[in-house]
Amino acid sequence: MRILVVEDDTNLNRQIKDALTEGGYAVDVAFDGEEGQFLGDTEPYDAVVLDIGLPQMDGLSVLEEWRRAGKTMPVLLLTARDRWSDKVQGIDAGADDYVAKPFHMEELLARLRALVRRAAGHASNEITAGPVRLDVKAGKVTVDGQSIKLTSHELRLLSYLMHHKGKVVSRTELTEHLYDQDFDRDSNTIEVFVGRLRKKLPEEIIQTVRGLGYQILED
Amino acid sequence: MQKGSIAFWLFWLSVAWLVVALAGTAFLLTGLYSRALETNLTNQLKFSIDALASATLDSTTTDLSDVSLRDARFDRAATGWYWVIRNPSGDALAESRSSIGTVLPTIETPFDDDNYRADTLTDESGNRIRAIERRVTSEGLPLWIMVTGNLDESVALVEQFRGQTLTVLSAVGIALAIMSGIVARLALRPIGRLSKAVEQVREGEAETITGIYPREIAPLADEVNELLRSNQQIIERARNQVGNLAHGLKTPIAVLRNEAAAAKGTPLAKAVASETEKMSQLVSAYLDRARIAARSAVVGKKADATTVMLRLARVMEKLNPNVTIAFKRPDASLPWFRGDESDLEEMAGNLIDNACKWSKSAVAISMQTERVNTNALLLIKIEDDGPGLSDEEVEKALRRGVKLDEKVPGSGLGLDIVKELVDVYGGSLQLKRSVLGGVLAELRLPSARLGGLPPRSPT
Repeated sequence: MRILVVEDDTNLNRQIKDALTEGGYAVDVAFDGEEGQFLGDTEPYDAVVLDIGLPQMDGLSVLEEWRRAGKTMPVLLLTARDRWSDKVQGIDAGADDYVAKPFHMEELLARLRALVRRAAGHASNEITAGPVRLDVKAGKVTVDGQSIKLTSHELRLLSYLMHHKGKVVSRTELTEHLYDQDFDRDSNTIEVFVGRLRKKLPEEIIQTVRGLGYQILED
Repeated sequence: MQKGSIAFWLFWLSVAWLVVALAGTAFLLTGLYSRALETNLTNQLKFSIDALASATLDSTTTDLSDVSLRDARFDRAATGWYWVIRNPSGDALAESRSSIGTVLPTIETPFDDDNYRADTLTDESGNRIRAIERRVTSEGLPLWIMVTGNLDESVALVEQFRGQTLTVLSAVGIALAIMSGIVARLALRPIGRLSKAVEQVREGEAETITGIYPREIAPLADEVNELLRSNQQIIERARNQVGNLAHGLKTPIAVLRNEAAAAKGTPLAKAVASETEKMSQLVSAYLDRARIAARSAVVGKKADATTVMLRLARVMEKLNPNVTIAFKRPDASLPWFRGDESDLEEMAGNLIDNACKWSKSAVAISMQTERVNTNALLLIKIEDDGPGLSDEEVEKALRRGVKLDEKVPGSGLGLDIVKELVDVYGGSLQLKRSVLGGVLAELRLPSARLGGLPPRSPT
């Protein structure tokens, strides 16, 4: 899962980035509205954390710009203004949820997880595929109830495929959604991680669709 | 009319002026009348003298006893109407029948160039008389012809005239005083209208002073409007500054708080965590307070409750995809909310948010008009199918400064700001048991008189 964080306060930006990275997300950051708008417009993100008060271009304008361009990724607004009139304005501009500053990082993570999950059409925090069970909140994977140890890269890959269960996911899409923009796209890391995952999980869980990509089948 | 009022002063000033002017008029008229009477009397007396003189001069004998005047007034005794013809030594050669038996006083002043002299004397009966004497020479003999008339009669006439004049002028004065009272009232009526208009602004029924005023007070109305505008601006600015400060503080607080959370366990982290918690509470408390304090500036505002609630319901459904919100659309006659739109949004938003948080799946919103005496209230009902509240919890929830449960994400019930706003608007908030099983929140708010009708355009 790849997340864009647009926040002009460098400390807060770093904190959110660290927390999200730790939570298993690939994170891109932007420090002003224009940069954020450009990244959101050109890169495929699974969710965006967007501050409202931004230099160059305010958050609501950025959001409206995205929605006008047909971008549908879930957007979590960060706002210091927590009156309902402000929230209503944000939601009407196309936001999916808001978190009022000052917030607890756990709350931000919980809201973001819920947004990503909802966008993928999952109602609960747990996604299953055959014997494999992914706890989105805790970042834990079990097979037939047995806990499996995964590295963060392996977890990201599995999580993305589980979220998009039943859909064929191309290697390009995986690269785009699992790594931030600085990642070297030409490497064959995806194949390497898929190989490692297959060793840890029942082999038939991740199917290769020749010429197209990978898929976890619906139950 | 009370003392200290303009109408009072106008009235009494005009009354005082009327009294002076009318009294002066009465005095002047009486004086003129009295002078006219006196002139008339003098003319009459002179005419009589001339008649006597010509009778005397026509007389062929020196015996003047048959000289007489045809005027009957000179026949009755003691009336003050006398005539006498004397020689310079004072012997009466002829006299009126009225003066027979009395001694007429004599005029002491010298004759003028026309051989006349006049004086005001008193006869034996005590009448004040006007006496005029002419000196003539008849056949070489000097004769003094004196005729007198009763002055008291004239004085009585003048007195009578004065009485009538005073009566008439008093009546005129009273009529004028009443009129000036009415005029003062009428002239001051626009001021009354202006004060009504200002009152309406204060009551929140109008945003500015409207209406056409006379040239004298139109500038006052304009000034009041200008004052309202600048007041509004100052408050708006102050409110924005407070808001900017408070909101600006939130990001640094968030940073500190997150930093402390990352370094969990160290004494520094603990101190920072607890202090940032306090700072954050202070910031939101003062933000709320600033908003409420600015509320008194919200005059003449109204909001369409239906639109606001529809918008909130839409937003809440997006925020809570697991909850179905049943919005019962009110009919078009529902009055508007008398107050600031964002305040209504804040009150209803918090209540719906609570309902969504606690509900299992269903929230219902309805609105209606509630009439209490002549007053129409806007009643907003928000209910959920959650666990509900016990009587004790309800009592606690409605008490100031108490938060019910912090377990549900996004703070407690958020009722504090709702309660404060409800108080500011003089509304009420009740928490009851809903037929859905959860809480039924009843929010009663003042309604705007005009309702949803647009202001009528003049035709």
